[in-house]
Amino acid sequence: MSIPEEIDFEVDADDLSPLAADARPLGAPSLVVDDLYITYRVFGGKRVGAGVGAPPSLLKRLLGRGRTHVGGVTSVEAVKGISFVARHGESIGIVGINGSGKSTLMRAIAGLIPPTQGAVYVSGDPSLLGVNAVLMGSLTGERNVMIGGLALGLSPEEVREKFDDIVEFSGIGDAVYLPMSAYSSGMGARLRFAISAAAVPDVLMIDEALATGDAAFRKKSKDRIDAIRDQAATVFLVSHSLATIESICSRTLWIHQGKLVMDGPAAEVCAAYKAFVKAQDGASR
Amino acid sequence: MRAVAQASGLRQMGVRPPLTDYVRSLWARRAFIRTLGQAKAYARNQGSYLGQLWSILNPLLNSLVYVFIFGLLIKTTRGTENGIAFIVTGVFLYRFFDSSVSTGANSLKSNMSLVRSVHFPRAVLPISTTITELTTLGPALVVMVLISWASGFIPSQGEVPFTWRLLLLPVAVALMWVFNTGCAFMVARWVAITPDLGNVIPFALRFVFYASGVLFSVDHYLKDHEALAGVLSYQPIAAFLDIGRQAVLNDPVAAPLDLTMWFVALGWAILFLVVGFWIFWRGEERYGRD
Ligand SMILES: Nc1ncnc2c1ncn2[C@@H]1O[C@H](COP(=O)(O)OP(=O)(O)OP(=O)(O)O)[C@@H](O)[C@H]1O
Ligand SMILES: [Mg+2]
Repeated sequence: MSIPEEIDFEVDADDLSPLAADARPLGAPSLVVDDLYITYRVFGGKRVGAGVGAPPSLLKRLLGRGRTHVGGVTSVEAVKGISFVARHGESIGIVGINGSGKSTLMRAIAGLIPPTQGAVYVSGDPSLLGVNAVLMGSLTGERNVMIGGLALGLSPEEVREKFDDIVEFSGIGDAVYLPMSAYSSGMGARLRFAISAAAVPDVLMIDEALATGDAAFRKKSKDRIDAIRDQAATVFLVSHSLATIESICSRTLWIHQGKLVMDGPAAEVCAAYKAFVKAQDGASR
Repeated sequence: MRAVAQASGLRQMGVRPPLTDYVRSLWARRAFIRTLGQAKAYARNQGSYLGQLWSILNPLLNSLVYVFIFGLLIKTTRGTENGIAFIVTGVFLYRFFDSSVSTGANSLKSNMSLVRSVHFPRAVLPISTTITELTTLGPALVVMVLISWASGFIPSQGEVPFTWRLLLLPVAVALMWVFNTGCAFMVARWVAITPDLGNVIPFALRFVFYASGVLFSVDHYLKDHEALAGVLSYQPIAAFLDIGRQAVLNDPVAAPLDLTMWFVALGWAILFLVVGFWIFWRGEERYGRD
């Protein structure tokens, strides 16, 4: 399958009002990532070798097979030595192919996955909005708003105060009193976004959370992101839609196989990434 | 890089905070702990027509099984005045410990999606699982007391009247909860770092079950082994079962009112909580990576 010039499921043309982002003055550093390494420990897998050279001997193969079932621990290096500095008021897009380490990097910045090596320094409490920010499916949306809000560090009173706002913003109406397992994926995503956006963090990270929303919701969430950015916070946006990135972000990082390949203005990096994807697509045919 | 970060007053993420800060941030999340624990307990009984009624029916059915097998078929309760009440109290309190440890052990793994999406002191999770167990225990305790009381009307069984000592039952349960939380902290860390231990825990728990006099009176069966009986009746689980029985039963032989046992239980509770919390905190920077 060839990739057309513009694949764009996420942003409507009229959403693409150019932002005055570049004109915004940049503040003090809000995030420093210093030579970050993240290694996952994976059980019950096998590291596939480079695939070159002579086929392994029978004995080795047998041993190797055994190790998948007994004592099979592999480590997956998801992030390998990334460093950068982000400033207040900046909105940074992150692009890269599947499995390149974008979500892992976001989680490490949010303090959810402790670094194997290197360090992350952040101002205030960073918060991550992700597609897999699963709340409790068997409970109603209402309970989940409470749990999610408390988890973010709000007090019960604050959550109750913001409850109407959250429901209003999510736009799911009375469905908030149904168990979340009865939600469509878009409804779940809306509620999760609304909950996480209730607390205004210094560093907000959005990991493909906008992808499932409909046009109206994307517009709303874009406005909310702009509002958060106006409060001098830093916003990270991980997305496979380059149009979204180009419309929201002023700066973009391109990550490939856990390494930072390019860091610069959104338009430049997106163009380079697009060229790369096209080249890959050409090579695979 | 580090200098830049320090100059602008940034905080390092993903490192273990000092113990006092950790305790403070945990205290700040107390509403979260309670809400999460109670929500889980509520979710347990969902997805059935009878819904929350199961929180009563479950312990009721459970105790019927034990009473039938051990109280009527296999008589293990020699040396007690009322075997049925003895077994029911033992089983209910032991189940509180058992389920706290086994769900506590998996508390990080079963909440991995929460761990990977929101940042909070991870000690929230073991505590909230023991809160879940405590919430589940609430209705079960009522069933337990009522069954014990009702069994007093069976001619062969001693009477179990309601006395002022029932007021001690919440104290006993509270102490046991503190102890369970300490245990949950320990196993939560061990299982998070070495998942294989999760498979060993059920066996350890079964061993403790038989060594704690849940179904029989340790003092009665080990009359001739002074030393062993001493160890077995002052070990933590036996101590907690004993103070629970002191509160419910009217049994001057198997569970006489004995203040020293309450202090032993208090000691165990504090010791396990402090040590367990410390062990858990030491692993804080590793939770969530694997
Ligand atoms: N929970 C996990 N356990 C083990 N390895 C993981 C885990 N999550 C991700 N990985 C590995 O880390 C690497 C990076 O994954 P990551 O989820 O960060 O990619 P991504 O850039 O977000 O991809 P996508 O675009 O598909 O969302 C992958 O090689 C993946 O195999
Ligand atoms: Mg991802």
